[in-house]
Amino acid sequence: MKQLFKNTSTIRFSMYAVLLISFIGSLFFVNHNHAFYSQPIATITEAVVEDTEELSDMYGNEDVLSSQQLLGVIQNGEYKGRAIELDNEYSLSGANDHEYRTGQDLFVFIDGAGENDAALSGTIDNVKRDHYVLAITWVFIFVLLVIGRKQGFYSIVSLALNAAILSFALDIYIRTENAGLLMIAGISVLLFTVTSLLLVNGFNEKTYAAILSTVAGVFAALLLASFAIWTSGGNGLNYEEMQFLSRPYEVVFMAGLFIGSLGAVMDVGITMSASIFTLYEKNPDISIEAMKTSGIEIGKDIMGTMANILFFVYISGSIPMLLLYLSNGAAWPFAFSITLSLEIARALAGGLGIVLTIPIGIYTSIFFIKIKRAAQ
Amino acid sequence: MNVLILLAFMLCMAMVMIGGKKGAVSFLSLFANFLVLLFTVYMMNDPGNDPILWVIIACVLISCINLFFINGINTTTIAAFLSTVATMIVLLVFILFMTDLTMINGFGEEEIDELSLLSLYIGISFVELAAAVIIISTIGAITDISISISSPMREVHLHNPGLSRSELVHAGFAIGRDLLGTSTNTLFFAFFGSYLALLIWFKDLSYSLGDIINSKIFAAEMITILCAGIGIALVIPIASWITAYLLTRKT
Repeated sequence: MKQLFKNTSTIRFSMYAVLLISFIGSLFFVNHNHAFYSQPIATITEAVVEDTEELSDMYGNEDVLSSQQLLGVIQNGEYKGRAIELDNEYSLSGANDHEYRTGQDLFVFIDGAGENDAALSGTIDNVKRDHYVLAITWVFIFVLLVIGRKQGFYSIVSLALNAAILSFALDIYIRTENAGLLMIAGISVLLFTVTSLLLVNGFNEKTYAAILSTVAGVFAALLLASFAIWTSGGNGLNYEEMQFLSRPYEVVFMAGLFIGSLGAVMDVGITMSASIFTLYEKNPDISIEAMKTSGIEIGKDIMGTMANILFFVYISGSIPMLLLYLSNGAAWPFAFSITLSLEIARALAGGLGIVLTIPIGIYTSIFFIKIKRAAQ
Repeated sequence: MNVLILLAFMLCMAMVMIGGKKGAVSFLSLFANFLVLLFTVYMMNDPGNDPILWVIIACVLISCINLFFINGINTTTIAAFLSTVATMIVLLVFILFMTDLTMINGFGEEEIDELSLLSLYIGISFVELAAAVIIISTIGAITDISISISSPMREVHLHNPGLSRSELVHAGFAIGRDLLGTSTNTLFFAFFGSYLALLIWFKDLSYSLGDIINSKIFAAEMITILCAGIGIALVIPIASWITAYLLTRKT
């Protein structure tokens, strides 16, 4: 026993050590990785605002436009160590521009190399964001581990695993010309569900019931959404915001709907099966009717909040675009349909998936309990 | 027939059939939340109004709808309400700092073509808008977890009135941790689903890893997902402390 305790604390200690080393190592690397980029990167050493002007347009929007003279030092490539001069223009609102500050790293194009010591001239391409993204990733990891401990660790692993599955599935979709996206999304949905639920709940009937009801729930949602789109001829859905894709939008939209509702449906599936199995374990002689009634009661409590979660995730992203259209004199119904129609459709279809999973989850769990009873 | 109306009708029918009166209330609250969001956008459209102030107002209204309208006013919902608002403000400070630092404000390359005819200089701070978007995307999940922690904590307190404040906090943490996995999953998949088109676009362009990580849209997506995860984890201690404080205050 003592030996075991010693072992687990050694494992824990080495896990902390690995975490700390990768934390320091990765932060060091990402702050000194300039040489790995082929595009020149300049660190800004001086930023001077040259002049500002006030703007107003035909819709009465007012903004302030400023121009900025930046001086930087190239960090990599053949011009490493040379000074570079950059011009930048930015607005107060910053819809597609930024005010740069000293100390920032920017990806640049070098336009002209002058004499040996003269400053280069160039244009700004993009901000170097990798170190920020990494820093936030570490904040996320530490917050989840400190607060969530073991469960936090599983959440991180499950996120990483699901992101990997998604990336792999998309690679297959891109590489194979004729692979149907919906087919691939369907298979991924199965994989996502199985890995996530097994990871959180382990191998038992409760998990199997949850997996079955989740898969049935998302497929039902997809079917109903397709039915709604088919009967209405797609009227009211505006694919404008997906115009940048050189692929059939409708299928991509459906696949997104499929995957997007999965998490919420999984949550409902596991809640239903966990609570019905708990009822059964507390009282093995409980009647089927009693299980159904309790299941519906629990379902009633969660369906509203779950639908809300999906709703806010989907709608929030469209707010900046909606504001831009409104500020440009677009009428509400037009701006609304161009920026929100897909998101609302997604939220509603996801909500349908959530609600349908409640009875599906109840019947699936009861089915598994019946098998268990018959076996006894 | 409009798809949105048809889907809304189907959802309403399903909620009422399965949830009865409570289902109808759930559907109404969804609709009310939508109206709050539209109203917020309407207020933000005036550059004289501060987007951050309005996002805080919106979140307070939304929490009122989700907690008080659906569950009534009692210790549990008041604790959940206070936890939601406290978490949101802590998260908002962090997000504002991050959006300013990482410059993820404004539109991505994939949207710029579509916007070429529009004036982008509209006088509304897109840095603040970016922060507002992240906060609103998690508000549903944050209210959900706060109520899911404070409600069983009250049951624990009712059945064991002798428990000290710190023991109650401990119970709250245990309840919250069990919710962490499924709640983060719910959000992650919702984000994956809504970013699917962008992910396909990235793969189509065969961007290098460096190009992807540094691009504004991808960084914005990552930061949104991670901040949402941080928010969900932060509610756990905040809701446990506030609920334990409110429950043991009177005695």
